[in-house]
Amino acid sequence: MTQHASPPRDSTGKVPSAGAPPAWRGLMARADVRTLSLLGVLAALILIGGITKPDQFLDSRNLQLVLTQASVIGVVTVGMTFVIISGGIDLSVGAIVALASVWATTVATQEYGFGGILFTAVIVGVGCGLVNGVLIAYGAMVPFIATLAMLASARGLALQITDGKTQIVTIPSVLDLGERDAYVLGIPPLVMVFAVVTIIGWLILNRTTFGRRTVAVGGNAEAARLAGIDVRRQRLYLYLLSGLCCGIAAFLLIVLSGSGQNTNGNLYELDAIAAAIIGGTLLSGGRGTIVGSVLGVLIFTTITNIFALNNLQSDVQQIAKGAIIVAAVLVQRRTASTT
Amino acid sequence: MAPEPPLLSMTGITKSFPGVRALDGVDLDVQAGEVHCLLGQNGAGKSTLIKVLAGAHQPDTGTIHWRGGEVTLRSPIAAMRLGIATIYQELDLVEHLSVAENVHLGHEPTAAGFVIRGKAARASTGLLLKRLGHPEIDPARLVGELSAAQQQIVSMARALSHDVRLIVMDEPSAALDPDEVDNLFRIVGDLTAAGVAVVYISHRLEEIRRIGDRVTVLKDGRAVAGGLPAKTTPTREVVAMMTGRNVEYVFPERPAKDATAGQPLLEVRGLAREGEFEPLDLSVRPGEIVGLAGLVGSGRSEILETVYGARKPTSGQVLVDGRPLKPGSVRAAVRAGLGLAPEERKAQALLMLESVTRNVSVSSMSRFSRGGWIDRAAELRAARAATRELSLRPDNPSVPVRTLSGGNQQKAVLARWLLRGCRVLLLDEPTRGVDVGARAELYAVVRRLADEGLAVLLVSSEVPEVLGLADRVLVLREGRVVHTAPARELDEHRVLDLVMEGSPAS
Amino acid sequence: MPETMGRFTSRRGLLFGTAAVGAGALLTGCTSNESKDEPAANDQPAADDKPGKQVTIGFAGPQADHGWLNAINDNAKSRAKKYSDVTLEITEGSNDTAAQIGQIETLINKKVDVLVVLPADGKALTQVGLKAMRANIPVINLDRIFNTPQAYRCWIGGDNYGMGLNAGHYIGEKLKDKPDATVIELAGLDNLELTKQRTQGFDDALKNYPNIKKVARQAAEFTVESGQAKMAQLLQAQPKFDALWNHDDDQGVGALRAIEQAGRDDFLMVGGAGALSAFQAIKQDDGVLKATVLYPPTMAASAIDLARALGQGNGVSGMAEFEIPASITLYSAVVDKTNVDQYMSTGFK
Repeated sequence: MTQHASPPRDSTGKVPSAGAPPAWRGLMARADVRTLSLLGVLAALILIGGITKPDQFLDSRNLQLVLTQASVIGVVTVGMTFVIISGGIDLSVGAIVALASVWATTVATQEYGFGGILFTAVIVGVGCGLVNGVLIAYGAMVPFIATLAMLASARGLALQITDGKTQIVTIPSVLDLGERDAYVLGIPPLVMVFAVVTIIGWLILNRTTFGRRTVAVGGNAEAARLAGIDVRRQRLYLYLLSGLCCGIAAFLLIVLSGSGQNTNGNLYELDAIAAAIIGGTLLSGGRGTIVGSVLGVLIFTTITNIFALNNLQSDVQQIAKGAIIVAAVLVQRRTASTT
Repeated sequence: MAPEPPLLSMTGITKSFPGVRALDGVDLDVQAGEVHCLLGQNGAGKSTLIKVLAGAHQPDTGTIHWRGGEVTLRSPIAAMRLGIATIYQELDLVEHLSVAENVHLGHEPTAAGFVIRGKAARASTGLLLKRLGHPEIDPARLVGELSAAQQQIVSMARALSHDVRLIVMDEPSAALDPDEVDNLFRIVGDLTAAGVAVVYISHRLEEIRRIGDRVTVLKDGRAVAGGLPAKTTPTREVVAMMTGRNVEYVFPERPAKDATAGQPLLEVRGLAREGEFEPLDLSVRPGEIVGLAGLVGSGRSEILETVYGARKPTSGQVLVDGRPLKPGSVRAAVRAGLGLAPEERKAQALLMLESVTRNVSVSSMSRFSRGGWIDRAAELRAARAATRELSLRPDNPSVPVRTLSGGNQQKAVLARWLLRGCRVLLLDEPTRGVDVGARAELYAVVRRLADEGLAVLLVSSEVPEVLGLADRVLVLREGRVVHTAPARELDEHRVLDLVMEGSPAS
Repeated sequence: MPETMGRFTSRRGLLFGTAAVGAGALLTGCTSNESKDEPAANDQPAADDKPGKQVTIGFAGPQADHGWLNAINDNAKSRAKKYSDVTLEITEGSNDTAAQIGQIETLINKKVDVLVVLPADGKALTQVGLKAMRANIPVINLDRIFNTPQAYRCWIGGDNYGMGLNAGHYIGEKLKDKPDATVIELAGLDNLELTKQRTQGFDDALKNYPNIKKVARQAAEFTVESGQAKMAQLLQAQPKFDALWNHDDDQGVGALRAIEQAGRDDFLMVGGAGALSAFQAIKQDDGVLKATVLYPPTMAASAIDLARALGQGNGVSGMAEFEIPASITLYSAVVDKTNVDQYMSTGFK
């Protein structure tokens, strides 16, 4: 965990001045082997993509495409990473994205325009997270069960709202945000949101008491309680955070697809968990990084992209995805055990 | 004719893990029918050695001879087939299966090759339990419902359900009360009389004196002495071999001043938890160390955890500086200046994946943060200061806490409360899992903290520890205080009499 | 955009100033979808709407989590409403085989006169179809076919192979004079048999046009989200092509979004199924979507007609036989600008 370790010190306990060669070398030495191995996997994928489809893959439009596709699930994964680090799990993320996206695109909501859609998506996400959090933290429910129940209810409610119909967004300002004209310096707004969520997530996890408490609760909940941490309140906040990320992701999805549908967010829970796990987050809690999770998301998105560009069919894609999950975890285990 | 070849002979065993050479050319030979004791501090290589013997680790080099022939122990099953059974310190039982199912796990008696004959399994388990002196354990009960001591018996029954020639016991007495330890020794006697060899690992020298035949002492992955006579080798010699020092228990001087003067900092009034301990009154003054002595099951840990708010009392209250604490709230206790160093350090106090710094700062985060934002430089400075004050080794709070020895891990917990500015320290078995050599240092730390004005409430099952460290001692028996006296008026025999008999007269 | 942004700003006071109560009220209000409740349109005259013997029809379908399935339910309901002599017993839709079996058994026990079943999984529900037939309740098997003809009296359904075939022929005719033309295919959920059939039909049709080559195929999942994602990748993979066939108009919403985002308009697109949004786009004729191949949800209305005829002992008017046929495969008509008005009312949302 690169960002968890404190700066290298010399024997007198002073931090070597920043920018000096020893600091830089120390940084490299500390760079987490997990992160490095993920970067290696990503580099290998880029190599494969560049060799098989040099024109289409190594293209700025394709980079924009991959990052855009990664944005929605990426934002969900940041929230999921916090929950898993705390020793929990949130199986309801996909269902919350679906519910938030349809609630925010009903005819009635669309009358409130851009703000109404954004506000509703975020509030629905936070609301679902609040229910999860209260059930888990104060109702003493197992996260697996509580979020499984939320998965079922939120999907059901989403279906009830849409009646199985696709809700087309007619607000131009929302639709415009997903189009090329809205790119700033070639960066799609969705990708910017993803980047901002990632940076904020990293800061919260590594630089704040909230992040510390999250890691403490996940590493040893009993020790955290006996150390005077309010474990229950922390759990409540974590599921709220995950719900908030789902609400933001739902808004991104609305912008991206120009619609709301109750089938949205299908299997996001599995994609987010898989990305966090190959990113080095321990499923048992206590350890994990935002950088790793985001790299996990990028790896998955890049694989999908390479397969699609090479016109490989979904059966091959799924087999390879499974194999890559196993391979990535094995590589990490090897590199981790030799240090 | 040459003497019979040893049952087991391990020669030149080395085993390295990344960054650590756990075993460095260890020799061990065990004769049939003997109790061979393995002694050594934590990290000396005992666990690795028995894992090699159990087939759980493969040695890098070295040979193992079993009944005269060379063998390779590829897996725990291979070791089991040869007749080597291991009873680990952390029992490896399945809580949700019955006693009989656990005993026969992996070799269930079957009809037609796959239908489990439950009745036969229960019957044979019943016989084994009887042989082990515990006929009262019902083979049909779930293991999770049994006490720790009973679970250990089940573990032993499982070992004996195989055709076993060598049993390795890793600190079997750690969780047992004296009468249960007696029963354990009887079993060990029966086994060796039947020609089974026992490799016995323990911290407690007096146990080794009682049942051991020979002793092998490990230090830093090497066998510093092999096959010493267990009964006659002088204690100081053994301790010296383990530690390189000539000390066992060294307690710091009590201060000359009378600590019983002044207002109590911690007061407990009629505190009780139904089924665990009866209404209890006690008070601790600044600078005073009060000890609670009692056996396992006497309610010691429960009392400390209730004072700390980790358990909710059924009646009574806890006061700090005369102000009552909100019952059942750890946060209220911590805010009022209480700090607990719990018995199960790894399970209850430490964040094992984290650095020392983070383990130390976890209770005082608001001190280095503004608006939730942590000033990591200030945090590191404070953690360094707190750990230096306790001479925690290594002197680098950035290392992971799991790499520390037991004594230094305990210091990390103490540093946490020191940093928090805690005024009442609750110590539950402070030297459990701490090497003999490191204990004296820890005692000195506790005394110094008291001298600096902390009130200390100490719980220990090791009577000499309570007597040596505390100013005042409360003797507990079955959840009740049976005697209170200044420590210097008590001796070990007297306390043992009290905890066994419970009558303060006599 | 600026205008709408202004509107957003002016709404802000309302949206964020009214705090929690306002938020709750807004959210409650926001689930409303007022305009959704137009009746599904199958306004073709009923075959024989003179009242006859009273018939109770039991209807069991899967969960309507998809526009087309929802249209199936609406068609069945509104058609039954047209007949004064028909009582419709409709079950809660379910995708769970066991649950659907239970619902059908309940209908059998209620002794409905005729059963109309759209199974969540045709093979898995064969047994309960047989059970109904043995209890002398004739079964109309809708679309997803049972394992054996013994389990139904009449099967009526769409033609997946025909969809692909007609889509292929439509595209073929449009491109037949273009040398070295290329097409791509955005398929539906790949683990469904029907997706394979549609692709097979499409490929078979293209064999008649040696100048046309299919250069890429990706499978989406019948959802807008997957349609957008897969189409975006296809567009990146194929910088130039002449035609696209998309299996499903629902995922087509996402596909069209991706096409718009990529700023592409240099090809012709044919959809599938017959959604209202697709019909409207075809009528407007200002985008790439030029046609869609039907997989008509009106088959549910026809199934009600057949069930009523069975219950009253009638045949199908316009046919010489006394009995209704054992099997009816619907034609997958191509709807383009020339005939879209005729189909507009059958479009589903």
